[in-house]
Amino acid sequence: MNIRPPMKIGVTGCGGRMGRLLICEVLSSPNCELVGGCDLAGSAAIGKDVATQAGLEAIGLTVSDDPETLFQSADAVIDCTNPAVAKSHLELAGRHRTILILGTTGLDSGHRAAVDAAALETVVVQASNMSVGVTLLMTLVERAATVLGSGYDVEITDIHHRGKVDSPSGTAVMLGQSVARKRGQDFGQMARTVRHGETGPRRPSDIGFAVSRGGDVTGDHTVILAGQGERIELTQRTFSRALYAQGGVRAALWARERPAGRYSMRDVLGFA
Amino acid sequence: MSNPLPIIIGIVGCGGRLGRLLVQEVVHTEGCALGGGTGRADSTVIGRDVAELAGRAPAGLAVTADGKAMFAACDVVIDFSVASVAPLSAEAAARHAIPLVLGTTGIGNEDQATVAAAAAKTAIVQPANTSLGMNVVLALAERAARALGTDYDIEILGQQHRHKVDAPSGATLALARATATGRDVALDQVEQRGRHGEIGKRPKGAIGLATVSGGDLSVIHTVIFAGAGERLEVTHRGSTRAIYPKGAVAAARWAIGRPPGLYSMADVLDLA
Repeated sequence: MNIRPPMKIGVTGCGGRMGRLLICEVLSSPNCELVGGCDLAGSAAIGKDVATQAGLEAIGLTVSDDPETLFQSADAVIDCTNPAVAKSHLELAGRHRTILILGTTGLDSGHRAAVDAAALETVVVQASNMSVGVTLLMTLVERAATVLGSGYDVEITDIHHRGKVDSPSGTAVMLGQSVARKRGQDFGQMARTVRHGETGPRRPSDIGFAVSRGGDVTGDHTVILAGQGERIELTQRTFSRALYAQGGVRAALWARERPAGRYSMRDVLGFA
Repeated sequence: MSNPLPIIIGIVGCGGRLGRLLVQEVVHTEGCALGGGTGRADSTVIGRDVAELAGRAPAGLAVTADGKAMFAACDVVIDFSVASVAPLSAEAAARHAIPLVLGTTGIGNEDQATVAAAAAKTAIVQPANTSLGMNVVLALAERAARALGTDYDIEILGQQHRHKVDAPSGATLALARATATGRDVALDQVEQRGRHGEIGKRPKGAIGLATVSGGDLSVIHTVIFAGAGERLEVTHRGSTRAIYPKGAVAAARWAIGRPPGLYSMADVLDLA
């Protein structure tokens, strides 16, 4: 019987909140081997044991500031960093043909080219939200927007903890983009991220965003489709960030031996 | 070119709140004409003009207690009245070989068997709810139940107005059935209703139904998929009864010329 060796997984941004959860998840997943973690030079995590800084017992791997070595030694890297760092990690993934699970949010159009370039050489799973619920939510939103048509106005709300620095959330933007795509519209033209003062009447095709920040809310998103006399609301509430880590590891295992290309969590979970 | 003849539509229980809205909808829908309306024999509305009663210009049609005459005069009949009338309407539709849109909720098993028998002879559309939005929600709930499986507990919450005399609402039951279908189980094997006291742990795979009642207008139905660390909610909010007549008249037009059978709004709206 041919038993496959465990998948070698590295975590970038491993000193961050998501990074520490990813470390725990990789270490507790039977088919995975943690090969290392790195963080930005100067970060407090550098030089510490990867596992102890995540709240577990030491495993003898120290947090490095050298992503290149990590990308060389890993089968897959799970990245939850920031947009600037993520860009350089896309280049490393392409160069070393390392699978990249890209959980970083706040990416702009410049990243699109970097993702496409890396996806020529390796598997890139672009997963700004790695939970099962949000991934399914996207498919439900697309279906509803398609069936209900232009008579139903789309508005998106996003609630997150007080420490979140970007808004609307990456997930909210992703939800809006899928509505625009289904309606054949340019998201940039339709998105209304700010309403204040004399806004005038709502343009029929607007996709509106309302953002709330406070407390320790992990992340709630609602897509409202409001028609005459009725409305539909599709909501996902996340209570535990561990979900994202589970999704990230699931994506890495799924990506193993896939042909190079750009994928999403929908591909990973098989939600059409 | 001549316009096709209008579709002649009769309304059972035309003096009721929903009956009047149905009359209004028929009167102002192009291609449709009012064929008559019935009321209870002891009702004060008998003999009054059907359209005038609904706040429209008189149609020269008096509300009658004689259902037979009305069915004979119509191409299709809509009945949203009371459960006890449903089997009578179904049998009359079969006898006159015209389609029926039967929107009554709370029909008992025996009466439902009568409706099904009548549907072997003529087309009967039995919508749990005629609003487009609710039917989209039904389709999404089934889809989500299939995708998520039993790791996500399903709970259905119906919030109905204080005038509603039966519970759970037809829409609550329809949502429960849709999720059961998504899981490939029979609802009566897994449903949990009326929880109170020492009910024991929630069985895996159960589908819970709960009802709250109050207020005069808004009707809210939510399907909750509660998993580990996250939940998904699919909600329909109806703020006016006007959403129902529109769908009912659409169903009546769709039913003309259909082969005998029991149909749903998913058939009418092609949401399957």
